[in-house]
Amino acid sequence: MTATAPTYPYTAPAGPPALLLDSITKTYRSKAGAVDALRGVTYHFARGSFTAVMGPSGSGKSTLLQCAAGLDHPTTGTVVLNGVTLLGLNEVELTKLRRAEMGFVFQAYNLLPSLTVYDNVALPLRLTGRRPARNDVQRVLEQVGLEGKAKRRPAELSGGQQQRVAIARALITRPSVFFADEPTGALDSGTSRQILGLLREATDRVGQTVVMVTHDPVAAAYAERVLFLSDGLLAGHLDRATPAQIAAAMSDLER
Amino acid sequence: MFFLSRQTVGRHRSLYAGSFVALAVGVFLLGLAATATAATIAYHGPASASISVTTLGGDGTAPQNVKVPLSDADVSGLQTVLSMVGTISGFITVFVIASTFAFAVASRRREYGLLRLIGATPRQIRRMVLGEAVAVALAASLTGAIAAQLATPLLLRKASYTELAPVKLEPASPWVPLAIAVGAGLLVAMLGARSAARRAGRVGPIDALREASLEPPRIGPVRVVFGLLFLAGAITMLTLIRPSSGEGAVPLAMFTPMVMVIALTLLAPLVVPLVGRVWAVPLVAWTQVSGRLARSNVLAAPRRSASLAAPILAISAIAGSMVLSLSFAADSAAATIRDAVRAPIVVTGAAPVDRAGVKAVDAGVPLQVVRVAADYAELEDAEGIDPVIASQTRDLTVRSGDLGELTGNTVAVSKEMAGFEGYRVGAEVPVVFPDRKPVKLRVVAIVKDAFGVNPSFLIPLELAREHAPQARTERSFVLPADGVAPADLVQRIPGAQLATDWEADQAEGLRKGNRLGLVMLLGPAALYSAIAIANTLLMGSLQRRHEFVTSRLLGATPAQLRRMVLWESSLVGAVALSLGAAITITVGVLVRHSMTSGVADVPITVPWGILLGIGGLCLTLAVGSALAPTAYLLRVVAGQNAIQQGQ
Ligand SMILES: Nc1ncnc2c1ncn2[C@@H]1O[C@H](COP(=O)(O)OP(=O)(O)OP(=O)(O)O)[C@@H](O)[C@H]1O
Ligand SMILES: [Mg+2]
Repeated sequence: MTATAPTYPYTAPAGPPALLLDSITKTYRSKAGAVDALRGVTYHFARGSFTAVMGPSGSGKSTLLQCAAGLDHPTTGTVVLNGVTLLGLNEVELTKLRRAEMGFVFQAYNLLPSLTVYDNVALPLRLTGRRPARNDVQRVLEQVGLEGKAKRRPAELSGGQQQRVAIARALITRPSVFFADEPTGALDSGTSRQILGLLREATDRVGQTVVMVTHDPVAAAYAERVLFLSDGLLAGHLDRATPAQIAAAMSDLER
Repeated sequence: MFFLSRQTVGRHRSLYAGSFVALAVGVFLLGLAATATAATIAYHGPASASISVTTLGGDGTAPQNVKVPLSDADVSGLQTVLSMVGTISGFITVFVIASTFAFAVASRRREYGLLRLIGATPRQIRRMVLGEAVAVALAASLTGAIAAQLATPLLLRKASYTELAPVKLEPASPWVPLAIAVGAGLLVAMLGARSAARRAGRVGPIDALREASLEPPRIGPVRVVFGLLFLAGAITMLTLIRPSSGEGAVPLAMFTPMVMVIALTLLAPLVVPLVGRVWAVPLVAWTQVSGRLARSNVLAAPRRSASLAAPILAISAIAGSMVLSLSFAADSAAATIRDAVRAPIVVTGAAPVDRAGVKAVDAGVPLQVVRVAADYAELEDAEGIDPVIASQTRDLTVRSGDLGELTGNTVAVSKEMAGFEGYRVGAEVPVVFPDRKPVKLRVVAIVKDAFGVNPSFLIPLELAREHAPQARTERSFVLPADGVAPADLVQRIPGAQLATDWEADQAEGLRKGNRLGLVMLLGPAALYSAIAIANTLLMGSLQRRHEFVTSRLLGATPAQLRRMVLWESSLVGAVALSLGAAITITVGVLVRHSMTSGVADVPITVPWGILLGIGGLCLTLAVGSALAPTAYLLRVVAGQNAIQQGQ
């Protein structure tokens, strides 16, 4: 691993933190026994940064993302988003914070099958009680290259188009943080490039913060920083790395 | 959120079609019962067909004028049946709606999770589910009401000039009854949707990311508490079915299963897997992989299985209990009649007294009197008898007082009636006779009950003749002279029957009457439950497209999947039916015990045909409506595979 300090917690990069994780642990308990999915993660995501999270399967990437986004409660530790500590919030406050500040894109099952593309994109606005302006919706649809597809339903779109609808939906509320869990996991490389380009654009143009979990070194190379997670712990990072460097680091980690 | 509700209802048509049909049929039945009741209320027979009396008043009530219709214009029988039809339909509706909505919510966890993820609050989700319920309920209730309005004339035509309503009934103004039915439909839908909505509100955003169809296995403490409360209530009601409850045993036999069904449905997520495990033992032993899969599908989703089992449990328990109870009631009535008749010969109509070989003829005159009480007046059956002869031809065992004093303005009262009204020897019973003359009758004796042979009020023969000159003897009991064989005498008297034959005829008549009542009461409920059973299973199977596709890709053959669904639905059906059978048997045993105490040698008639028919029908419906959509889905899946391979 080139250019990587093996000791963590990592000191914050330049810029005010958009998202702060402080000694996060997560233990899943079930009948089969307890699993320590995260074992103490501390990290600052700088505002306007694009960070990829990589690691072997089962290393806790999805768990990290879910805890960071307040979808799941960490067992110990705190998460601070734009100065707000998630721990103290109740379900409704958390929901309101989520719809104002966060956008989500996952590998699949992102859209409501009963709604048209237009309605899916406009949904977050409607949920806040606002009437979506037609222009706003059209604008984000254009931004993701789906201007002609507003009337379609998700089942009538390809997987890549569906992901783009999900991104459009996340863009429309102008969230400060974007969470993506393997957003390109089910797509071919060409379509992946489009999706990643959109995420890249979000950080470059609008200053949104993107946290993306991925298995794909090519996808990770779109990020300015790649974080490596292993066995529930941060194991290192690479800045502005090429896919080849990232792949090499990954195979080191998996060994 | 109403915007979303509208859209999702459209999309989840197969889920909501079930709720829609269930509710529309429920409102149809309620509406029909309501419009028909309105017709009976609106019915005013000719003045000659009723008697006006003034109630006694006292005990804080003022005397008031009431009109009591005579039996040839009495529609209260129909009213009673209609109110029972309404009750059963209402019950099944609440029940089916609650379980269809619960089912719809359970199969859409992932969708709610996604909505929560992109910013819907729990409250918005609840409102969305309720909004969907309102949309469906509104459409369904109006459909049901219109159908009820269209069917009302037909029902009234069928009901007119029957035993229940011996008059011609005309449709009354439909607005009020239909408004009640629609209102009830909306209310029921809201009640049914409320707990489903609350459960939907508890879905977290994380559920969008997890394998969402796996529901949390635990059931809420509130549900358990209510389940146990209802169970306690049902057990209390069961203990009330005892010899002292008399005629009350039959209504109890109707309502106890309902309470029991509610209890078991609330506890179903606990009970169904438990019973399911037992039934799965032979299944797993006899089949190969399909039985095992079916077992784990039923046990791993206890709530889903519970929703599927609920309507089968409801109808089998309620119908089974009623069928069995009424059959046992007829058995005990037959035994009572048998024991109450002492004369060896019964003649239809009046028998000639002077015929050779006849020792005595007990030709009672049946009539109806209006009994006037403090705040009501009621038509009662009475009979004018000659106490000397009648106490030889029938069982008139005196509990207190003296039958010999039955002359003039006197009456002998059956023990049960005396118990209800607190009559004692020496008390006065104010009545109005068919000739509109009010008379105060003095109670001279309390006699043993003999349903089907003696009415509750026995008056002197002369008194009956005086006040009801038109009344005719309908059946007479004949005592042969000493040394004359009844079998010979029967040949010589027209219309005569051996008492044993007559008793058998009476029992048969009772059963026939019961059958009619059962058809009227259970017919609509059974039809409704059939729809509900088909409905939940259809919905359930149509939701499983994804699972079937995956299984097919994994190499399961269509036959294996079909077998799996077959075993699954049979397993759910068997669980529900065994619970239903347990309720039926418990109620039946208690009813029988309560009715036969003090009567010896009561025959046992178990209507096996009907009971097994109910079970078989439930099972056939369950399996059929699970298999049909499965076969359809498998064909669709196969078609898609072929297309993909062709590309
Ligand atoms: N709901 C859960 N209950 C119990 N254990 C869980 C749960 N979710 C995840 N785990 C466990 O926690 C650990 C981390 O899981 P996580 O999903 O975060 O891994 P991941 O890095 O995202 O893996 P992948 O790359 O395969 O998606 C794993 O060992 C997993 O089995
Ligand atoms: Mg993951």
